[in-house]
Amino acid sequence: MSLSTMLAAMGEGMLRTCLIFFLTLLFSLPLGMVVMFLRRSRFRIVQSITKIYIAIMRGTPLMLQLLMWYFGPYYLFGMSIRGYRFAAIIIGFSVNYSAYFAEIYRGGIEAIPKGQYEAAEILGYSKAQTFFKIILPQVVKMILPSVTNEVITLVKDTSLAFTLAYNEMFSLAKQIAASQTSFVPFVIAGVFYFIANYAVAYAMERIEKALDYYN
Amino acid sequence: MILQMKGIQKSFDGLEVLKDISLHVDKGEVVSIIGPSGSGKSTLLRCATFLEKIDAGSIDYMGQDAVTTNEHGVAQYVPHQELNRIKRYFGLVFQNFNLFPHYSVLKNIMDAPVTVQKRPKEEVYEEAMRLLKKMNLENRADAYPCQLSGGQQQRVAIARALALNPEILFFDEPTSALDPELTGEVLKVIRQLADEKMTMVIVTHEMPFARAVSSRVVFMDKGVIVEEGHPEAVFGDPTQERTKQFLRNYQQ
Amino acid sequence: MKKKIALLLAAVLAATAMTACGNGAADSAAPAEETVTEEAATEEAAAEEPAAEDAEGEASYVFLDETLGVESYAIGFRLGDTELAETVSGAVQALVLDGTYDEIGKKYPDIYDYLCLKAEDIDESKLPERGSGDPNFTFKHGFDLDYPPYSYRQDDNTVGGFDVELCQAVCEYMGWGYEAVPFNWDAKDAELNAKSCDCIWSGFTKEGREDQYTWGITYSNNTQGILVASDSGIKTLADLEGKVVGVQTATSAYDMLQDSKADLAATFGDLKVYETYTVAYNDLKAGAIDAIAIDMTAGSFLIAGDQ
Repeated sequence: MSLSTMLAAMGEGMLRTCLIFFLTLLFSLPLGMVVMFLRRSRFRIVQSITKIYIAIMRGTPLMLQLLMWYFGPYYLFGMSIRGYRFAAIIIGFSVNYSAYFAEIYRGGIEAIPKGQYEAAEILGYSKAQTFFKIILPQVVKMILPSVTNEVITLVKDTSLAFTLAYNEMFSLAKQIAASQTSFVPFVIAGVFYFIANYAVAYAMERIEKALDYYN
Repeated sequence: MILQMKGIQKSFDGLEVLKDISLHVDKGEVVSIIGPSGSGKSTLLRCATFLEKIDAGSIDYMGQDAVTTNEHGVAQYVPHQELNRIKRYFGLVFQNFNLFPHYSVLKNIMDAPVTVQKRPKEEVYEEAMRLLKKMNLENRADAYPCQLSGGQQQRVAIARALALNPEILFFDEPTSALDPELTGEVLKVIRQLADEKMTMVIVTHEMPFARAVSSRVVFMDKGVIVEEGHPEAVFGDPTQERTKQFLRNYQQ
Repeated sequence: MKKKIALLLAAVLAATAMTACGNGAADSAAPAEETVTEEAATEEAAAEEPAAEDAEGEASYVFLDETLGVESYAIGFRLGDTELAETVSGAVQALVLDGTYDEIGKKYPDIYDYLCLKAEDIDESKLPERGSGDPNFTFKHGFDLDYPPYSYRQDDNTVGGFDVELCQAVCEYMGWGYEAVPFNWDAKDAELNAKSCDCIWSGFTKEGREDQYTWGITYSNNTQGILVASDSGIKTLADLEGKVVGVQTATSAYDMLQDSKADLAATFGDLKVYETYTVAYNDLKAGAIDAIAIDMTAGSFLIAGDQ
């Protein structure tokens, strides 16, 4: 296999990796918000269930979770899982990452001084206005470094999609490495992950800088 | 009468912080609340501004009931919407300013009138600039709170409260978080408001200031109002032993 | 309320699937290996010469004469899928008779000698007719892309290999549609049971799994061997005592060392389990391990790819 064929094959894999990455962020960032609200719910029962949910999501390997999301519908309900592979991957990733994001959000929200809520209340802001105008922007700034960490982890975690035989870049690297008895695909993969994460870190740094106008 | 509080009772985890307190404030009055730490003065202010819910008693603003007590002795707040309308009658200046750090000075002042009261931006801008000038901060409109001194931040907080045109303004130890050399600039602003006949209730430890600016002084201790009256009377010739003791300790 | 239900469901799903997956992972451990070649034999001869090094001065690698054992590659179907197993097996035999089997085999010299079906052994009368399959049926071929030369990503970046081509030929013969279902080897049983594929056909070893599947025809043999550097001084299985041996997880070689050859494995200094043989082979070249337990086709493939 020529290097150009290898790169072309892996390039396709990179696109799939990016697809997993962006779709996961797209769904898990807002979903994390929902989970965070449930986690902070006034109702004990909702709180407890959410706690268990977060514990499971963070406490079990993502690989197992992916298998469960894909095969679960068949084993539990006998449903056909044809054509469901990619959806299962995105669900698995999004749900898993939402648990991590939820905890990051929660940490950020609980770090906002109570006085901010009280000032908003006295000034007459509604609950929603308080959250979106006063609290959220401050939370975003505060949690950005933690989110960056998580996003970088996600870039590397995309390789777990091989569990469900989705040919993202790392699966391809392994296949090509096996057929070519070569390490080159792994090196290419490494370079890709590095560049991707460098880009993520750079983008996040820009956002951090943009929010640096206040302390 | 702007504010009337009657028979206010408030406990935290079984600890009675306010025991049957009544307080009324007339238009144009400046009422200073003094007393030792833990006497319940800040709690009284927080109850008046609905940041804390009272257990029993009644509160009305401008003759409109906000809280009443039913026949079982339990405080009942008026519905949410009604309460929100009543909240517009007052403003509160916090000990720690509680400015919004991500908003500029101007936006801190303008945002609530524009977002909450839906007033036209141009009009609010005019007013905000006027208030900033009054606070002697007109050149700091675009600064962020973190770039200001504590005294400047507190003056922005006062401007922010005034921008909503409250009938009455509460101050919760407005200078306690400030370095001593910065308290003067804040007290000066409050004094100026007093001269303009702004109705105010001030919880403070600044005795000379309270004496000079107040039309009435309330001395609280252990959840009750011990003595209340004209500042010259309370400071100059207190009738209660506890008041005397407090003022004596304070002067030392 | 919906949120609560969703969460509850997620929790239940998680718990159940963990259990299900746990089982799946347990019995899924056993992969596909490959075959012995003439080249291997040649290299064995070369090994007898003291310092067998190639032109570039690198060590060469040989299989020990002693092997771990022979195994057969067959097509695994879901238990009870007897009719499908028989039809596919019949079609494979028909392809032996018409020469397609041999033709495909010649493209894969590494395994050609291990293809075990002979025209003279086949009873022509029982085979399905060409084109007799349901044209609306699509046969879903489950395989692992990490098993050259049976099923792998080829030089032109297409999916291929002996098993893939033979399966495609079967589908063409029957008049079925063909669907490639490349899967993660560790999840092969889950994939088969969940019907996302109809068979496991990917250098799939029958020995030790006789009761777990309904088996189709055995179309290839393979031998599990031990690959060592020709100058290592290791000549017999007994010489492996105290040595570090590498093996790929979930392979037949691995299973043998855990099971029928556990006594041998007990004499090793250490058994290193790799996710892929590529890494194991590099470790061998680097001198970090002394030997690799691997089937001879896969081993020959590694050696050939390195030259």
